[in-house]
Amino acid sequence: MQDAQAMRAKQAADAGLLRRFSLETLQVGGLALAIVVFAIVVQLNFPVFLSLPNINVMFVNFLPEAIIALGMTIVIITAGIDLSVAGIYPFSAIVVGLLMLAGAPIPVAILLTLAAGAVVGAVNAFISNKFRVHPFIATLAILLILRGVNIIITGGSPVSGFPEGFAIFGQAGIDMGGFTLRYSVFIWLGLALLTGYLLRHHRFWRLSYFIGGNRRSARMSGINVERYLVFVYMLSGTLAAVAGIIVASQFNAANNSYGQNLELRVITAVVIGGADLNGGAGSILGSMLGVLFIAMIYNAFAMSGISTYWQDVVVGAMLLASILLGEALKRRRA
Amino acid sequence: MPPALEVKEINKSFGSHRVLHEVSFAVEAGEVHALVGENGAGKSTLMNIVGGIHNRDAGELLLKGQAIDPADVWQARQLGISVVFQELSLTPNMTVAQNIFVRREPTKALGMIDWQRLNADARALFEQIGVDISPTELVGNYSVGIQQIIEIAKAISFEAEVIIMDEPTSALSESEVDRLFGIIADLKAQGVAIVFISHKLGEVFRIADRISVLRDGEMVGATKPAESSPDEIIRLMVGRSFDDLYPPKGVVGDEVILEVRELSHPPLFHDISFSLRKGEILGIAGLVGAGRTEVARAIFGADSYSSGSIALAGERLDIKSPREAIEKGIVYLTEDRKVMGLFLSMTMRENIVSAALGRFVGALGILQHKEIAAESGRAMQRNDIRPRDDLLSVNSLSGGNQQKSLLAKCLSANPKALLADEPTRGVDVGAKVKIHQALRDLANHGVGVIVISSELPEVLGLSDRVIVFREGRISAILAGDNISQAEVMRHAVQ
Repeated sequence: MQDAQAMRAKQAADAGLLRRFSLETLQVGGLALAIVVFAIVVQLNFPVFLSLPNINVMFVNFLPEAIIALGMTIVIITAGIDLSVAGIYPFSAIVVGLLMLAGAPIPVAILLTLAAGAVVGAVNAFISNKFRVHPFIATLAILLILRGVNIIITGGSPVSGFPEGFAIFGQAGIDMGGFTLRYSVFIWLGLALLTGYLLRHHRFWRLSYFIGGNRRSARMSGINVERYLVFVYMLSGTLAAVAGIIVASQFNAANNSYGQNLELRVITAVVIGGADLNGGAGSILGSMLGVLFIAMIYNAFAMSGISTYWQDVVVGAMLLASILLGEALKRRRA
Repeated sequence: MPPALEVKEINKSFGSHRVLHEVSFAVEAGEVHALVGENGAGKSTLMNIVGGIHNRDAGELLLKGQAIDPADVWQARQLGISVVFQELSLTPNMTVAQNIFVRREPTKALGMIDWQRLNADARALFEQIGVDISPTELVGNYSVGIQQIIEIAKAISFEAEVIIMDEPTSALSESEVDRLFGIIADLKAQGVAIVFISHKLGEVFRIADRISVLRDGEMVGATKPAESSPDEIIRLMVGRSFDDLYPPKGVVGDEVILEVRELSHPPLFHDISFSLRKGEILGIAGLVGAGRTEVARAIFGADSYSSGSIALAGERLDIKSPREAIEKGIVYLTEDRKVMGLFLSMTMRENIVSAALGRFVGALGILQHKEIAAESGRAMQRNDIRPRDDLLSVNSLSGGNQQKSLLAKCLSANPKALLADEPTRGVDVGAKVKIHQALRDLANHGVGVIVISSELPEVLGLSDRVIVFREGRISAILAGDNISQAEVMRHAVQ
């Protein structure tokens, strides 16, 4: 009897602790903790891990994923998915390159490329809305089509030889002695802060949580869900185009092979960051930490000399762990 | 003065199916006007037209004498017509305040939400209607009953002149219903016109100033509660008369079918002991959350229990899963047919035999489709499920027929004991009578039936004995023909 009472008191206390923080705080906090622990362990074995040049390398390698994850986060919050980003990414690198080679001024080439990304996103949403196809299928189809188109318009060989001024987006940066802090990092940072803030505080952007939480009730609240999703997928497409432009500048070339499996890395990062594929939950901060975590794992494995095949095992395990943690937290609070 | 809302000669068809025919209806400021009718009579369609969800084919909508034409829910709300939907329009993962003011959040520069004002506005709203709900709590953390109140608060926040409530009490406990009726009285006093759609005639007679009856898309009568009776309303609704909503009680045998002894699972329920006899309908009453469903789920093996015992026909059972329970002959008719009971996108036939597939398996596990078809056909007939086509998907049926097919599904498993949890929630009077009759037929065939219901008249009208739950314990077991609602309520709350 006393045991039962003590147990109940303890349960109540646990519930209190769990309730004091939101699910999002707990998940993002847990991920941040995992990152710190992981960083310390790797640092103790490889002292170069947390050096500024190495951190810079991590950033540069995963910048496309980080930028695309911004859009993917919002897509997933609305209970959608966008696989086509891995097609738009090389597509826009190629398009911006071909436009410049055809003589278009750099700003014009970039604007047209961003518009192309937005149009592909609009097509995704249109197919999904109009024919009531799950976005997984609609964006998978577009991904496959774009992969083919990329090879067709390049003839399978890389596009290169861009004007000098184009280097500013992915190559040039501030000389920090030892390494170059690229301007592209600031592009990412600006976009992340902006989308993160808007998603948290802006009236229109917040509607994505309503749509993902309960689509029917969003409609009942007078939200034009179809039109909103067009916006969301256009945003995702545009951000994939931003990443494509940066990578074209970074390598001074565009190749149809860019972005293999990128969509899966991005989705993994976003889910590790606490987004719910069923919609209604997710945050930019969480997704960025998710990308950072994956970037650290890939970097650490490359450094350690352990077969890099193991890195996917670790990433997969982490994905499972974060999902199980999220479910467990949800159940404890219910 | 013109009425707050007037609907004139509305026609509406979906394809070739006529849903509303020349329907006229008016509600005055400060009036509660109840709209009743069987499922499919056109109530929801009518209100969806008023609320801006459907277009009308012909007819007029007048708000205080002015013709209006709301294009969507949003516009209707801004005009002053708020519909409180039967299926809640709230999002569980957002806070109460965000849900209420979605798309109307107070903002600072550039559309950024002013969180402090948002929460303060919600708090003021709750103070105005006199309920204690936290604006910053997630909606999903509140019970369905409280969510219903939040939904109503949302409607009020539009400064609505007309509020339409579609089955607002279907998920509420008795005390929550009282609270809702208090809020309705306040709204009335402020001059708000209220349209109250309900299946529960008891509530309609308690709250309504006027009652209008729809049948098959036509308005067949309007009356005042004082000048009418539930029997008369039912006659109007179904176009025929019912001697009684409840079948005559049967003869209860002496043989005990199900014996539950000191079943406990703290903190949900404690020391639950009762016996169910052959041919008996045993009612379980109590407030929502008193542990009724939890006990039923434990008996069915869907949840575990900590201590105690369950015996079926004298044999001690140790059931760990619904599958074992069904094999032994215990069937549970779930509370929420949409969530747990039926496979909505599958056909009637698949649903009906789904609990008893084991009986239709031949060599190598191949299903015997002929026998399945025969059993399903018999079940459709026996339970009077319409339309009589068992290859239609369950989705396409009305609520009452869905409920009847859920019953058919249970029966195909040849149960010894049937646990029916809220068997008539959200179904119309006609279907209700048929479900009551089906439950009584079962009992008369020797099945022990347990009926859990939040509708007291139903528990009392149907049951041979009534067990009252309070806070996870049995507070009374009542028998006899003269159990009163007041007596049951007293045991349920004190």
